[in-house]
Amino acid sequence: MALLQISEPGESNAPHQHRLAVGIDLGTTNSLVATVRSGEALCLPDEQGRKLLPSVVHFGETEVLVGYEAQARQTSDPLNTVASVKRMMGRGQRDLKHFGDIALHHFVTSGDSGVPRIRTGGGDFSAVEISSEILKALAHRAADSLGGDLAGVVITVPAYFDDAQRQATRDAATLAGLNLFRLLSEPTAAAVAYGLDQDNDGLIAVYDLGGGTFDISILHLNKGVFEVLATGGDSSLGGDDMDHLLGDWIIRQAGFTDIDAGQARRILLAARAAKEALTKQESAEIRVEHESAWSGTIGRQEFDDLIQPLVRKTLSACRRALRDAGIGKADIGEVVMVGGSTRVPLVQSMVGDFFERKPMCDLDPDQVVALGAAIQADILAGNKPDSEMLLLDVLPLSLGIETMGGLSEKIIDRNTSIPVARAQEFTTFKDGQTAMSIHVVQGERELVSDCRSLAKFELRGFPPMVAGAARIRVTYQVDADGLLSVSAQETISGVAADIVVKPSYGLTDSEIESMLRASMDHAREDIEIRMLKEQQVEADRVLAAIDAAVARDGASLLSEAELTLIMRRRDELASAIESATADELKRLIKAVEDASETYVARRMNASVNKVLAGKKIDEVDVR
Amino acid sequence: MQSPDFSQNYFELFGLRPVFDLDLAGLHDAQRRLQASYHPDRFVGSTDQDKRLSVQMASHVNQAYETLRDPVKRSRYLLEINGARLPDDSETTSDTAFLMEQIELREELESCRHAEDALDRCDRIETRLTQRADELAGEFVDRFEAKAFEDALESSRKMQFIQRIQQHLSELQYELEEC
Repeated sequence: MALLQISEPGESNAPHQHRLAVGIDLGTTNSLVATVRSGEALCLPDEQGRKLLPSVVHFGETEVLVGYEAQARQTSDPLNTVASVKRMMGRGQRDLKHFGDIALHHFVTSGDSGVPRIRTGGGDFSAVEISSEILKALAHRAADSLGGDLAGVVITVPAYFDDAQRQATRDAATLAGLNLFRLLSEPTAAAVAYGLDQDNDGLIAVYDLGGGTFDISILHLNKGVFEVLATGGDSSLGGDDMDHLLGDWIIRQAGFTDIDAGQARRILLAARAAKEALTKQESAEIRVEHESAWSGTIGRQEFDDLIQPLVRKTLSACRRALRDAGIGKADIGEVVMVGGSTRVPLVQSMVGDFFERKPMCDLDPDQVVALGAAIQADILAGNKPDSEMLLLDVLPLSLGIETMGGLSEKIIDRNTSIPVARAQEFTTFKDGQTAMSIHVVQGERELVSDCRSLAKFELRGFPPMVAGAARIRVTYQVDADGLLSVSAQETISGVAADIVVKPSYGLTDSEIESMLRASMDHAREDIEIRMLKEQQVEADRVLAAIDAAVARDGASLLSEAELTLIMRRRDELASAIESATADELKRLIKAVEDASETYVARRMNASVNKVLAGKKIDEVDVR
Repeated sequence: MQSPDFSQNYFELFGLRPVFDLDLAGLHDAQRRLQASYHPDRFVGSTDQDKRLSVQMASHVNQAYETLRDPVKRSRYLLEINGARLPDDSETTSDTAFLMEQIELREELESCRHAEDALDRCDRIETRLTQRADELAGEFVDRFEAKAFEDALESSRKMQFIQRIQQHLSELQYELEEC
């Protein structure tokens, strides 16, 4: 009940233990996990001292392998080995062509949400399930190396990720059994890692070219508060595309025909090796070994010519982001480089030329996002109560609703600060209409068919009225992770339908539940004990909060009758802690919360007034 | 779940005078100050009830901020809190001279798409639009202060027309820069 514990600036709440928290960069090509130890952020290595975990999962008939072991099977067993699964997150069957090398796989669609699954020797798996394997491997590494259970994690996502992609990422965390503190946008994490929050105030451009995504973000920094002014990019553009361009070049040079999955994989690996060599050398040798072997050499200039259109595409997105933020290139104070693909010399020089300044690339561009996420996780875990850092985010893509004629009407515009809620009224167009279908879309285009469909549902059972008389109030709520929920209500009759929105390409709750059940090794009693423990901890926290609040201002904000009621509920809870079941405790906690609802609201108002009390008189004076 | 009772209007929420000519930097400062207290990141370890309250509070602050930041939304909101009636279905003006001017501006915009000096032309239209927006804002303030709310609403509608053309212009400039 922390709203009851609003503390004054510089005054911290009760001291507490250090809680283990990590930041996870769930990348297209590689993933990392980092934590803050003795005040310093560092990436946690595996037993062999390797920090990167290739985002590759192999599904054998009996076992699941993640990382290097899975990568080693990419060539010999491509159909049962999945790489770049991030491109599939929150995506449906019709997006298959955008999946890149994932499209080599055999897809099946099953389950009530129609999520595409990859068929492997070990079964059919969705992107959420595959990603959760990567998350589990990283969480396992972290728990081993930190020696305890994780209190929570921060997982990074491209700033440009839409609602379906964010939902899918959150679902993967749930499935991996992780307590997700927050989804953090990758560019913001990078700026945090560079400690730019301790620098002077100003504008920062974060250029993030990873394996499979490109993001450009314009951040505004002011007194430790990061704010994303604008984001842009392309969620299917990255270093993998360079590999493909070079792969195509190899195929042309070698005159390969009839390329099977294994051969395609070998060509891509050879291309990637050459690309990496060219970051340090002026030319690189390429070898494709197998029955149809080929070897050749490529010079840096030739490679630059191949990838130049791709880099130019990223600069267009930079221009757009600057325009969205309403600023010019000259206003940018720092340019931060993120993602392994920014090691490519042409990328560094073209970005440098574009922004007319030398980009920052002191930190390892592969690690920088995970390091920033770790710093945020440490703060959210409550390990740095004095930190003033606050990351304010914006909605990356507009949210709209389908109206007559297949047009999208924007409810919340992109680049609106989140969390945010907005309601809009709609009406019926036919006499006697008693139901309305609501189609939630995301994107900037006017036609619904050009936007991404997030959810469709119906509000049913309001009384028949003449056309145009019903008032249907549709409310969109976006939380701090950028995740959307929608509700609809007919306001004249009061017929309300609470509708929980699940993205069309996400998983339904029942699917998540059954997956969770399938992956649960715990016996039923274990779970019940855990639930009871959780409720007991919760009850203790509620009691402590209410006691502290009442001691401070209970007398001034509550009438005697109100105070008596709250204290009665409090005592009921206190006396039941040791003996009650989890469900009973939950009910008693709820009773305390219900009884103190008005109190909480009053304290909040009192506190708002206090926040604004520092304003000069003439600013609040009405003219 | 009842949300906190926020009887204050958006200007009061931010501690600002309810005027059209707003100090935008001050608005931004106030928004950040409130977010620093109520953003969900401050309530990660709290109860579900507090988390919900914090999302509601932070959403409320952002909604207020988005409304006051945008000149058209701000003008309508000023009218609303002063008790003016805002019909939501008649978003058009009956000023035919103004409408003609809008049609001309749009045609000019379309014609410069294929022109040799397209970007220069865009710049000239941009200057003109900014000027028109400023004039209309001034007109709004005069009418609003004279409590001629019907007329002020008309100015606000015209501001919205200009804003839409400005958005089209900005899209066009982006497209042209791409080529």
